[in-house]
Amino acid sequence: MWKSVAWDAINEGKAMKVTRRDLLVWGAGAAAGLLATPVPWKVLDDVSIWSQNWPWIPQPTRGPVEVKQSFCTLCPKACGLRVRMANGWAVGVAGSSTHPISRGALCPLAFAAHQLNWHPQRLRNVRHGSSLSTWAEAQSAFAKASKEGPVVVIDGYSGRAASSVLETFAGKQGGSYRVVATPELRAFTPYEQWTGIPAASLGYDFENARTIVSFGAPLLDGWGTPGRLTRLWAESGAGLSDPQLRLIQIDSSLSRTAARAWQWIEIREGSESALASGLAGALLEQNLVPAHSPVPSMTLAESSAQAGLSVERIRELARLVVAKTPALVVARDDDPAIAALNVLLGSLGNRGGIVPHSEGVKPYVAAESAIGNARAVLIDASVPWEFVPQVEAEIFRFAAWDGGATKADWLLPAPGFLEDLTDLPTAPGCSAQTYGVAPALVKATIEVQSAAQFLCSLDASLPTTAKIIDSRCEDLFRRREGNLYGQQIAAIDKVSSVQSFKEQLWKGAVWAGEASLSKAFACHLKEWPAQTRPVSAETWATQWKPVVMPPLASKLYQESGLREPPRRNA
Amino acid sequence: MSKWRNSFVFAFGLAVALLLGWVVFPRVLYSQKHQPLDFLHKTHAEKSGVADCAECHTIREDGTFAGLPAVEKCAGCHSERVGESKAEAILVDSYIKPGHDTPWLAYARQPANVWFSHAIHVKRANLSCTECHSTYGESDRVRVYEVNRISGYSRDIWGHSMSRLRRAPHEGMKMSDCEECHKQRNVEVGCLGCHQ
Ligand code: SF4
Repeated sequence: MWKSVAWDAINEGKAMKVTRRDLLVWGAGAAAGLLATPVPWKVLDDVSIWSQNWPWIPQPTRGPVEVKQSFCTLCPKACGLRVRMANGWAVGVAGSSTHPISRGALCPLAFAAHQLNWHPQRLRNVRHGSSLSTWAEAQSAFAKASKEGPVVVIDGYSGRAASSVLETFAGKQGGSYRVVATPELRAFTPYEQWTGIPAASLGYDFENARTIVSFGAPLLDGWGTPGRLTRLWAESGAGLSDPQLRLIQIDSSLSRTAARAWQWIEIREGSESALASGLAGALLEQNLVPAHSPVPSMTLAESSAQAGLSVERIRELARLVVAKTPALVVARDDDPAIAALNVLLGSLGNRGGIVPHSEGVKPYVAAESAIGNARAVLIDASVPWEFVPQVEAEIFRFAAWDGGATKADWLLPAPGFLEDLTDLPTAPGCSAQTYGVAPALVKATIEVQSAAQFLCSLDASLPTTAKIIDSRCEDLFRRREGNLYGQQIAAIDKVSSVQSFKEQLWKGAVWAGEASLSKAFACHLKEWPAQTRPVSAETWATQWKPVVMPPLASKLYQESGLREPPRRNA
Repeated sequence: MSKWRNSFVFAFGLAVALLLGWVVFPRVLYSQKHQPLDFLHKTHAEKSGVADCAECHTIREDGTFAGLPAVEKCAGCHSERVGESKAEAILVDSYIKPGHDTPWLAYARQPANVWFSHAIHVKRANLSCTECHSTYGESDRVRVYEVNRISGYSRDIWGHSMSRLRRAPHEGMKMSDCEECHKQRNVEVGCLGCHQ
């Protein structure tokens, strides 16, 4: 039958033209048929795969796979890293368990750090205002500015060899060198003022403490080198009713640290300073500390009213603090009243307290202090994007990633993750001096310069980062102290030559000294520090300061910094 | 008559589309490439006493898979021509003597965003090579390598069957195939297991 129909249709076609209707019917048949073929589904699948492989999407080339030991250079905590490299590309990152401080832990940011160099916000060109420019133009503009007046150089990661280049340049040029310090580093500034020992050379001897009282510092939440405290707490305190190490978290909200601590003392937001004074009063009143200590002017009753804790609760807290010693108080920031508690408890320079770890460290000048007259400001890539210098000057800002709107006149692309040689001085808060070297493991795919390289190219008399690192390695070797943590732990006097010491450091080993417990430093407060922290809860929203991190580093674990509004108002 | 005519035209359209979709489309979609020389797995297994795939496709001590053997491995037997075939001449003169690796086209190569460990599958899960690679190790000819013109992937990833219906387990190496196999064996693996 079909044959005759087809024959008729063909015969009919001889007489009749192909109509629009025929075309539509044919199209409908073809469309229905097409749906019954693999064409639509396969093309969809292939096109989606093709879109994942566009030529501008970086693809690691195939080649020898190796694992290199190095350090995370994204912030001054300097955690130990193992980097999986395929044909010279970093394709994976893991923590290094041989690092004596970070002990294999990393923050969430670092786990994807090898991908940051390909981030869409990567700064790829020199920018002047809103237009593209060149390195040559930036150099001549900076050279001109530095001839015309003082240059302020701002660093976010002090103590590196690169920092030394920046500082030397500022000194030679007649400008000044400033530091944007991490909250961990800022917390030591009261001790620097009282004892003259630079904040950057102080650390907490957590490993020997038996009670840690944290005033809002997110100790188990990425504070300091993330692995150090989380591992210590897991080993000696977590989940026990009477742990070897007691962690008391004084916090206005149930932060992650508060939730995991031995005890959480809930106080009103912004009342940390008042509670510190009250606690000092309670310690003195109950003769729990030497009687010659300065007495806070704030009474226990006033402190109790501000903190939202009963007087009896504060007295009980004071007894709890000294029940298991050594006791150590950690502040979230540079609050002198909280710092003074450590003086009262005799924690300075003692086992389980605050100890100096390095010598020859200079005090830093905070970038936030008045800058005065400057012709130009040069900002290193380690400075957090949020930092904006309060000065009318030409701003040259180095950054690996573009953090959005900025006041900078010049934006200069800096090396990204592991694209530049750098050394890693002691992380803030550490009780022992450490030193590591992170070579440039990956090649930058764009034209980048660090601030130190930029300055060295302008002034050939400046020592290069590589030279400084070399001489630092030699100095360390000559001291014949401490251990080298590589594949094995070796005492430095077992290392045969300076050359082999350097080689091991360049391969990712880390040198660590001993905590300087013997170097007790004297500190006698004549009077209790004046209250500097606001007690009114209304400032909670404006008081937040970003921690030092590159613009993309929105670290999840720092969410303790995202404070809830106070739940009970005075 | 018009009703029959419409049916006929519709059926004609349907038939053309089916023909294009099932017969012409696969030929257009995949381009064919030839391996640099003819390699006989069967001969190597039977005559040269190579009994185990891992003798040439080794898993290194560190657990990484060496993949296709390097030319030095071939040179162990073929440092000089051991036959008169054209393939033997190409192997010895073009690759072994100059020391160049043979540019084999890998049928089962996964894309760069996939981390796949042969060691885990072969040593820990005890899967035999044939589970994924069929009996290719016994073949007496090299297959033509077909490459998808759009995605650039080998045809083995999708599998030879365009419909992907009623396939043997080794046919197809897409993510859904990995998932299916893991499901059958009750082995859980998260996204980061393969996409690290
Ligand atoms: S804390 Fe800092 S150094 Fe450590 S892994 Fe995170 S970004 Fe890197």
